Amino acid sequence: MKQQNLRRIISLGMLLVLVALFSALSKYFLNPNNLLEIIRDAAVPGIIGVGVTYVIITAGIDLSTGAEMALVAMVMANIYRYTLIPIPIMILVGILVGLLCGLFNGIIVAKLHLPEFIGTLATMGIFRAITYIIAIKENGTITSQPMKAYSYAILGKGFGRIYFVTIAFIVISVIGQIVLKNTRFGTNLYSVGANPKAAELSGINIARTRIIAYVIVGFCAALGAIFTTARLQSTTALLGDGFEFNPIAASVIGGVSLAGGYGDILGTFIGAIFMAALENGVLKLQMNTAYQYVIKGCIIIAVVIFDAWFNSVMEKRAQEAAAGGKEE
Amino acid sequence: MANEIILEAKNIYKSFSGVPVLQDVHFEVRKGEVHALMGENGAGKSTLIKIITGVYSKDAGSIWWEGKEVQVSSYADVQKLGIACIYQELSVEPPLTVAQNVFLGREPRKFGLIDHKKMIKDTEALIKQYGFPLKATDLVSNLGIGLRQLVEILKGLSCDSKLLIMDEPTASLSGKEAESLFGIIEKLREKEVSIIYISHRLEEVYRLSDRLTVLRNGKNAAVLNHDEIEPRKVIKTMIGKEVDESAGSAKEMRTNPNEVVLDVKDFSDDIGRFKNVSFQAHKGEILGFGGLIGAGRTELMRAIYGIDKHKSGTATLNGVELKYTAKSSIQAGFGFVPEDRRNQGFIPLLSTVKNVALTNYDIIKASGPSISDKDERDMGIRAIKQIDIRPDNPDKEVGLMSGGNQQKVVLGKWIMRDLKVLIVDEPTAGIDVGAKDQIYAILEDLAKQGVVVILVTSDLQELIRVSHRILVMRKGSIIKEFNSGVVTQSMVLEAGSGIVD
Repeated sequence: MKQQNLRRIISLGMLLVLVALFSALSKYFLNPNNLLEIIRDAAVPGIIGVGVTYVIITAGIDLSTGAEMALVAMVMANIYRYTLIPIPIMILVGILVGLLCGLFNGIIVAKLHLPEFIGTLATMGIFRAITYIIAIKENGTITSQPMKAYSYAILGKGFGRIYFVTIAFIVISVIGQIVLKNTRFGTNLYSVGANPKAAELSGINIARTRIIAYVIVGFCAALGAIFTTARLQSTTALLGDGFEFNPIAASVIGGVSLAGGYGDILGTFIGAIFMAALENGVLKLQMNTAYQYVIKGCIIIAVVIFDAWFNSVMEKRAQEAAAGGKEE
Repeated sequence: MANEIILEAKNIYKSFSGVPVLQDVHFEVRKGEVHALMGENGAGKSTLIKIITGVYSKDAGSIWWEGKEVQVSSYADVQKLGIACIYQELSVEPPLTVAQNVFLGREPRKFGLIDHKKMIKDTEALIKQYGFPLKATDLVSNLGIGLRQLVEILKGLSCDSKLLIMDEPTASLSGKEAESLFGIIEKLREKEVSIIYISHRLEEVYRLSDRLTVLRNGKNAAVLNHDEIEPRKVIKTMIGKEVDESAGSAKEMRTNPNEVVLDVKDFSDDIGRFKNVSFQAHKGEILGFGGLIGAGRTELMRAIYGIDKHKSGTATLNGVELKYTAKSSIQAGFGFVPEDRRNQGFIPLLSTVKNVALTNYDIIKASGPSISDKDERDMGIRAIKQIDIRPDNPDKEVGLMSGGNQQKVVLGKWIMRDLKVLIVDEPTAGIDVGAKDQIYAILEDLAKQGVVVILVTSDLQELIRVSHRILVMRKGSIIKEFNSGVVTQSMVLEAGSGIVD
């Protein structure tokens, strides 16, 4: 309990330091509108981060989320362009595609026992390739497909600067946290990640738990695709390229252990806002955006090193406390 | 103690690929008794337990639970009956609380959500009932290994288990933790919970058990009541009577008159796994280290070799102090054959040539900027010839060989060097009899060439047969040295169990 709280304070502290730093460096950073923009930018990686957190807690990883987004968006774009299917049904089909992508990931990882990294790296390629195959083409060249219908584009808006995507981010994070902490499924995620043998002895279906986690990622990626394309009012075959990094980074910064078993959605929520604040601040300082990636990468390396050190210190402390008063 | 019998295994037979492991074994547990199960390594204890818990199927015989014959084919079946197994490698979930662990997979729910309040309340009630020093809301990751074990016991009890099976429960506990476990076992007995207690440690069995079943070579050797459990008698029963020199049940020990090669003084680590250990090993001597599992032998050897750290004390080789890193030890003339052969001894996917070369690239000739393939290959072929590795194909992947030949490859890479000291830890575990003899011959050969061989083994027969001199460790210290006269298995086991005259 203590260790988790301490880790939470550390990620919150990192966020505050970052905000203070950018506020000092740029007068455009610390104002309510910009902060609301930051939360909006955090929303899509944060929503996908809910699913990715589940997967990482089971000691897995999902590299295919960017490609899942692109595929979901391109299927919807085809429906939009070539059929008269109403928008709500189009959205449902998009979500279905996301669920199927997740199911496919889950099956190859949990049933066919592919290492998560390789399995989802492969599906990342597959989903992206299918996106290219079904991409909208004009005169044989792939083009971006506008999706300007009012009933769709409205999803990219909100009540003033309280965007729908921000609301969805908060609602899904709250639900995600409740599911994680207060359902058997949530407990199973932890037990599968920490000690699968013990989980099995307790009658937990490990493969099913892992598959459901990947399906949830697919669902979250579909939502991410819908909100992103509604905001852009278009999609391209390149949508979400390199995006898979963001939800993973949000989880790691929020204290989700890549070794499995530790972390929660609240942490990922903070992590997602941290990443968005970082991007926003770099832009406000008018630095070259390429630096963003350098900084993001360095922060991830630092956090992972820190976590390894932090966990070993905590473990040592726990063991010493447990062995306390041991004579001999 | 005239209680009814709760579990009975009758006439159990089991063999693995034609080799009988259990023959006509009978085992019964009464309600509310602590029934110990003892026997040498390979006597069939774990096989019997695995049959009772549905992990293995039996070839013949029957299992009776509360007077009815039962068929069990999985651990879930067994749990339903009311049997819980406390595994040696603990099956708890560190990120979860005690309550979450106890109710894992069957959490109480309200409107589909876990009812944390009820779960914590029920766990607290259970903790109170048995007087465990735990709190339902403790995170297991913050608990020491002893308390984690209690969590697992609690989990078993929460399913209304009537029989707990504990396999070497004190193996990784400190003295204080073990003491508290004994108190809990006694409490459980008062609550009419039956316990099967598997242990190598006589004093624990003597203290706790109402009855004791001894297995020897897969057969019942004896069932003793508490007042018949007399340490020396138990050891005799476990080992059997026949004293046969060639089989290694007794041998004359001697002190080697050659000069001292390895001199270890006051070796200690910081958590007491070994304490103030001093010994000397002479040129050409095979020095055996006996004792129970967990006595600190492996830890001591790893620290001398330099894989693990030690806190105080010195080890000198021919008068020069070691630097306590694996690399410098190898250069000084050490070889180390680890206990866990498959994970630490060799690389399964590489060939014999590559495995033998792995520790020897410093002595393989260079050919320009890269190593000489020919020299590397010659070395592998030399090892194959010298110790008769089969198959003799130098390119065969070591992972595909038999256990005995794998071990020969591990030995082979060391004997290519100018060895002064070779430490071998459980060198023949899981190796068939024929290959064992060959490995003993290799060790004896090395000794003849003047190498100090340090043999750590839990196989008493092997210890006595191969060693020239034996040191017995117990709880981190050398408790007994056998350097002259005839030594028997019983004498070593008695020393390891703390019975010293």
